Amino acid sequence: MFPPQFGYYRPSSLADALDFMSGGDAKPLAGGQSLIPMLKLRIIQPKFLVDLSPLRELYFIRDEGNAVSIGAMIKHSDLVKDLTVKNKLPLLSHTASKVGDMQVRNMGTIGGSLSNADPSADYPAVSLVYEAKMVLSSSNGEREVEARNFFKGPFTTEVQENEVLKEIKFPVLQGYKFKYEKIVRRAGDFALVGMAVLAKAEGGKVDDIRVAYTGVSDRPYRPYEHEKMLIGTVTLDKIKEFAEKVSNSVNPPSDSRGSSSYRRKVMQIVTINTLKEVLGVVS
Amino acid sequence: MLLVRPGEKVKVRVKVNGVWYERDIEPRMLLVHFLRDELGLTGTKVGCDTTTCGSCTVLMNGKAVKSCTVLAVQADGAEITTIEGLSSDSKLHPIQEAFKDNFALQCGYCTPGMIMQTYYLLKENPSPSEEEIRDGLHGNICRCTGYQNIVKAVQDASRRLRA
Repeated sequence: MFPPQFGYYRPSSLADALDFMSGGDAKPLAGGQSLIPMLKLRIIQPKFLVDLSPLRELYFIRDEGNAVSIGAMIKHSDLVKDLTVKNKLPLLSHTASKVGDMQVRNMGTIGGSLSNADPSADYPAVSLVYEAKMVLSSSNGEREVEARNFFKGPFTTEVQENEVLKEIKFPVLQGYKFKYEKIVRRAGDFALVGMAVLAKAEGGKVDDIRVAYTGVSDRPYRPYEHEKMLIGTVTLDKIKEFAEKVSNSVNPPSDSRGSSSYRRKVMQIVTINTLKEVLGVVS
Repeated sequence: MLLVRPGEKVKVRVKVNGVWYERDIEPRMLLVHFLRDELGLTGTKVGCDTTTCGSCTVLMNGKAVKSCTVLAVQADGAEITTIEGLSSDSKLHPIQEAFKDNFALQCGYCTPGMIMQTYYLLKENPSPSEEEIRDGLHGNICRCTGYQNIVKAVQDASRRLRA
């Protein structure tokens, strides 16, 4: 398979890239691990690709104390290895190690994956539980968008045609237990269901808990209202009730990975097993 | 900055297995086609063409990537190692020896990719556990062997390279 014909722009700075993109019909190229397959399948046929790889401004992991800012061009493999990310955003580091496979992690970027917003991708759910902020840049300036307002639908985000996701700001949550559980049909596939959990809990008592899913809706899903029922002393019965409620609150897509009802069932089981593990509840 | 209009060609320079090559290509050309069709290095295979099977795995600046999902223009200025770059003086690389001695292939189509990924894996982690080998190779699909002998070959290669 060959990508369609396109023009290519290699900018000298971010400002240069944004200036070019304000002309329209140009798509930013990050690692290309989603973009190139989409080009090959002719799902998209932009007139120009703007290669972000030379832009040093987009490669950074900055420890800001109570937050860590990550440049859009940071690769999954860098997130796995970086000590700041490992220590301060352990859930993100752990999730990065489960993205695609080793080769994909060596090319693919966090900014590319979030901007692509595949409904079965791994980072979107993680960005929801961290309550990350996305910094979008255009030739008109910058704006910040909360993760919960960023994802608009399948492969659709708040990023406008003339904008680029420049960095992602993750608040640091100290002392939280974490897990990203991904159920796949076979190794390397996108998630049938994925679940991200961050919980502040001690001895069966939950002070704060954030749960988000991928693969169960047209965008990452965080059941903000239902989460509240897990606060306080947690029991297996409570977890089971939560699992039933959240899995009944979505209408997952049916596709080659699984039917809607199967996904809902998997979601329920993943929720029970993951929460039992994270919260240390013995059955 | 560099502007290449649709339909125009772009000059790329890539160092492959220690030799610099320069070609004028369309920006849409994939790295795997650059290697196979422009340079005649047909050891790197196109399998699934969808970033799944790993038979097109090569090293770009020391990191394993799937060359069916990299544009040649993204490799401009980069160093690439392909399966042809592993053996020297017609002597097989220890990983190649290990694959041969452990019958880690049947049809052989996935083998160049398997070996390049093994090369990268062992460079990152010289003595991986079986679980780490299986995780490290999960982006490479083999339809013949059932993977048992491939895992054995990687373990054997790890021993040979550390000896």
